[in-house]
Amino acid sequence: MIRDERLTADELQRIDERIRDDWPTGAAVDFEEAIAYHESLPAHKQFADVLESADRPLLQPRAGVPCLDDQVSLLEHLHGEGAADLLPTTIDSYTRDNEYGKAQEGLENARESGDATLNGFPAVNHGVDGCRELIERVDAPIEVRHGTPDARLLAAVTFAGGFQSFEGGPISYNIPYTKEGSLAQTIEHWQYVDRLAGAYTERGVTINREPFGPLTGTLVPPSIAIAIMLVEGKLAATQGVRSLTLGYGQVGNVVQDVAALRALRKLGNEYLRDEVCVTTVFHEWMGGFPPDEARANGVIGLGGTTAAIARPDKVITKSPQEFQGVPTKEANAAGLRTTRQLIDMVVEQDIVLDGVDEEQALIERETRCLMDAIEAHGDGDIAQGTIKAFESGALDVPFAPSDAAEGAVLPARDDDGRVRIFEWGELAIDEDIREIHQARLADRAETEGRKQSFRMVADDVDAISDGKLIGRPTGSPDTGRDGGETRAD
Amino acid sequence: MQLGEYCMPTTVILGVIGSDAHVVGITILDQALSAAGFDVENLGVQTSQEEFAAAASEHDADAVLVSSLYGHAEQDCQGFHELLAREDIDATTYIGGNLAVGQDDFEQTRATFRKLGFNKVFDSETTPEEVIRSLERDLGISTREAERDRVQA
Repeated sequence: MIRDERLTADELQRIDERIRDDWPTGAAVDFEEAIAYHESLPAHKQFADVLESADRPLLQPRAGVPCLDDQVSLLEHLHGEGAADLLPTTIDSYTRDNEYGKAQEGLENARESGDATLNGFPAVNHGVDGCRELIERVDAPIEVRHGTPDARLLAAVTFAGGFQSFEGGPISYNIPYTKEGSLAQTIEHWQYVDRLAGAYTERGVTINREPFGPLTGTLVPPSIAIAIMLVEGKLAATQGVRSLTLGYGQVGNVVQDVAALRALRKLGNEYLRDEVCVTTVFHEWMGGFPPDEARANGVIGLGGTTAAIARPDKVITKSPQEFQGVPTKEANAAGLRTTRQLIDMVVEQDIVLDGVDEEQALIERETRCLMDAIEAHGDGDIAQGTIKAFESGALDVPFAPSDAAEGAVLPARDDDGRVRIFEWGELAIDEDIREIHQARLADRAETEGRKQSFRMVADDVDAISDGKLIGRPTGSPDTGRDGGETRAD
Repeated sequence: MQLGEYCMPTTVILGVIGSDAHVVGITILDQALSAAGFDVENLGVQTSQEEFAAAASEHDADAVLVSSLYGHAEQDCQGFHELLAREDIDATTYIGGNLAVGQDDFEQTRATFRKLGFNKVFDSETTPEEVIRSLERDLGISTREAERDRVQA
């Protein structure tokens, strides 16, 4: 039975040897040699130091293409033209599924055809030397960003390859990304990743770890996201991780977003042991974007404004081409510059928002309810508590594709656009807090002259891409489309 | 007035085909169809053709609704209707979502999926109400009252 206990040196080595056999490049991983390599990197490429010593929110985009030279020029463009402070290397979907053979095929096709036949950089296939070439040729710290439930080999290769920051976690890369994988299994796999990061850290090479805060990216209530960040942070800290960046995805209501980021930072420092350095990352809106680039820039600008007020340590930016999928490097750099412009203009101002303290107190109370429930479910063990709380529905994520979560919780916006909970399922939140949510949703229903229903949820999911925050009814629900196969308006 | 009071419950199979993990659309559709009185069997994301067929057979489904958002639907649906025919499943079939990479020419996309055997093809902007009305028409039933009661203008 999996428990929140540190892997022993023997266990780490046993898993390490087995996992490196999964693909030939694993053989080049040598821990002692890798420590020496990291020590040779200049100070401005030491990810945790750069992030933790910054005096303003640092900006980081997402970006990954299959071939090494192309990845170098993409990152140089984002660093040069976009003025990104921190760079990413986004990993392709085959690697995320541990299909290294298919990734190899895609990489070879890309090399021959010059087309981006993979949707990211297959770091395992590039191997330790390929990763180091990337680290050396690009003049800023780079993080591995992915979505891999079993990221053990990816971690072994990229850590040895000179990367010092690694996104993901056992819940945040399971619940939103797969249907089947059990939480017990992903927790076990991430114990190895975190223990390996811990082993580097103990030798003076800090590996920054970043749980993925936005989860399903669709109207996730702040307290649910924060509770999962705290759980993943605690699991990582047990394995020796000492640099943790906890994440949160913008919902679009400025008061709620500022309150959530403050709650995340406060609870992160409270729940994680003193020796852990906790930083926060704010993801610009992760839901559907407007197809119109001018409007999309508006969404990005609101993200920058919110970040300037809440001052997270890092902001993950979006591009105005988000609607179409993977952006051009120019559009990606534009998203960085739009965000920077807003942050630098707003950060000088002393803006006081009404209601932030009250909203923050509510988010903190909800988060504590969830954390207490996890503690109780696991009889004090947070790994068991998380597994059992998801089983019972006491912990849940809206729109979760995974069988490991009930997915019974449904969110909807209130009359002010804050994300509230409409369907609770078995979520372990006190009755008096539920009444607050219900009252706020009732206010909205009254304003709109309709009953509270799933229809609000559906309308809210589409609202920002349709140019609004709240999915208000637009006249008659009978839009003239009557079940025939009409094209969208 | 609920559908079930007047006739046999209508059973609808729902799922996202292939390796796709986009769950929001079918979650909303599940809620809407259930509220309108349908018996909904939601197979969730990453559902294979075989799983759709097995569920349709087991529940004697009236309709099978396939969702796809990641652009690989054409490949994922090859041979699906042949499989349904072999299993002797006579259900109305719909497909909806982002069915091709880039949606520039929906008429062409529709023709492609009609040819694969789907009775109706919907784009990603389709509302749950449109699907319900379409099912009413194709299956010869009425849920209008129940639905109208839920969704007040």
